[in-house]
Amino acid sequence: MNILDYIGIGFSVAMQPVNLFYCFVGVFIGTLVGVLPGIGPIGAMSLLLPVTFKSSPEAGIIMLAGIYYGAMYGGSTTSILVNIPGEAASVVTCLDGHQMALKGRAGPALGISAFGSFIAGTLSIVGLMFLAPPLCMLALKFGPPEYFTLMILGLSVLIYLAHGSMVKALVMATFGIVLSAIGIDAITGTLRMTFGKIELMDGVGLVPIVMGLFGIAEVFLNLEQEIRSERGIIKTNIRELLPTAKDWRDSRGAIARGSLLGFFLGILPGGGGLIASFASYAIEKRISKHPERFGYGAIEGVAAPESANNAATGGAFVPLLTLGIPPNVVMALLLGAFMIHGIQPGPMMMEKYPGVFWGIICSMYIGNVMLLVLNLPLIGIWVQVLKVPYKILFPLILLFCIIGVYTVNNAVFDIYVMIAFGVVGYLMKKFEYEGAPLVLAFVLGPLLELNMRKSLILSQGDFSIFITRPLAAGALILALMLLLTPLIPALRKKRKAIAVKEEEF
Amino acid sequence: MRNKDIYSSLFWIAIGAGVFYEGYDLGKGDLHNPGPGFIFFWVGLVMIGLSLFIVQDVLRNPPPEEKTSVWLGIRWKTILCTLISLMLYASFFVFLGFLLSTTILLVFLFKIAGPQRWSVAIIGAISSALVAYLVFYVCLGSQLPKGFLGR
Repeated sequence: MNILDYIGIGFSVAMQPVNLFYCFVGVFIGTLVGVLPGIGPIGAMSLLLPVTFKSSPEAGIIMLAGIYYGAMYGGSTTSILVNIPGEAASVVTCLDGHQMALKGRAGPALGISAFGSFIAGTLSIVGLMFLAPPLCMLALKFGPPEYFTLMILGLSVLIYLAHGSMVKALVMATFGIVLSAIGIDAITGTLRMTFGKIELMDGVGLVPIVMGLFGIAEVFLNLEQEIRSERGIIKTNIRELLPTAKDWRDSRGAIARGSLLGFFLGILPGGGGLIASFASYAIEKRISKHPERFGYGAIEGVAAPESANNAATGGAFVPLLTLGIPPNVVMALLLGAFMIHGIQPGPMMMEKYPGVFWGIICSMYIGNVMLLVLNLPLIGIWVQVLKVPYKILFPLILLFCIIGVYTVNNAVFDIYVMIAFGVVGYLMKKFEYEGAPLVLAFVLGPLLELNMRKSLILSQGDFSIFITRPLAAGALILALMLLLTPLIPALRKKRKAIAVKEEEF
Repeated sequence: MRNKDIYSSLFWIAIGAGVFYEGYDLGKGDLHNPGPGFIFFWVGLVMIGLSLFIVQDVLRNPPPEEKTSVWLGIRWKTILCTLISLMLYASFFVFLGFLLSTTILLVFLFKIAGPQRWSVAIIGAISSALVAYLVFYVCLGSQLPKGFLGR
């Protein structure tokens, strides 16, 4: 079969009424959580994960994926109209988007953001379609040492890209590995760190940890200060959403570059939409003939980051679908959803489950069209949603977190775990530790341990197995280089400067 | 900043020591045949090493003191009340059932978040709990406890 046959299979799956419905629900909820500050795609996906148990695997994943890329679309609305990013990847959109809104150009800002997102999202799906099959072929040649070192590389990139201290990010990653190893040992069957609790025999769940760290902790942070009753939404005419011909001329290069950069940065572990949006904004400013316009309502400053963060979503699917390695927390949740349905993402997935593999990819095309329809004509509704005060919103966020966590296993114990990780997450923010390395290490932990132990058994305890195989050695050297960069003063300064710039935003 | 990093590192040293001991206790095996405690043993050691590195780094190159404490002006009462209410909710969730326990929790949360009239808090809580019940229990088929009233 060639790629066109696969696309045919994909569309036949994606166009089934039930899958279209799930796709719509996903992008709708995604846009909603993208618009609402305080609840992001991770929380929404965790909440709806149990809902996917009863659906077919493709329908469930189509919905969860829709939430992810839908949130990227929705996040720009709050950035432009309220100067509050709905989710992290839209932070940089505030700079020029809100300035455009202040100057009465909220419409074109929202318009170019939606069109740029659509174009970039579509281009990234094309990239995914063409990159996935050859990568799957390559991945078939991987053994346990390659998988182990690739996962080490993935974690190292994430740690390198951490905003603050790399050592703190490493501590978080080790903590994540410890948490992932709780429960029955897969090789010997020994109970590990269960403290006599039956509930811990199957290990700690991903959803309670994620909901606690990213949902409950966020609520505690918001409750710290007096809750403001209303947000300052720009009152402007947002009927004229279509950008002018000049706007298009100014933005076309930014959209193309943002799409390309976003896609490749999305593939990198830990990169994702956030890094892509910052990097594309910085590039546009650097190559612009009028960099002084940036920060004062330059339309390229909206088009580039919005295109980049949407392209990154397509890129993030590449390592998950081809290698079975999630590059970020959202993809880790999707990996969990695949596993629940008995599907192991990786090189064999395309062959074993072509309907699921290509159905998900093709549904993203359809989802992007749905998002364009949802975001432009319905912008007035999203503005109304923004007016919901946080004092009404936060009890509901807590309620959704509780339902999401409880319904996974119908276990009250999971609610306690979520609350505990809510406190841990809150303290982590206060002490400047990041949650992402913990969660990614938690997801990769079991695979990491299994592949390391398999490699050592294969090599009869000889560690050289990790350096005698070219790909494993390459990945390990790259990981080491990344982790040792703080020891080189010039690179250490540069990394700190990037972190400070991001903080300033 | 300085104390913050030292305290947090001491915490991770303690956790690392516990993990290290657990790995030793479970049996770390050897490189030819790694045991169930292998990963705990080494990860615990790495945790201790990294935390010690943070401590010595802070002591050697003390970061500039922050002008204001991150703990200043925090509404501890609100956070603690929310936390305790969540713990109590989890404790009585199965006994009281989803609808009753959720309504009580939401009334409390609506009231502590800001000045809200009782009628608004009660109506908001009941309607939110009912809508959540209808969506998740009735429409999506999620299992939610009925409590003593439903028996």
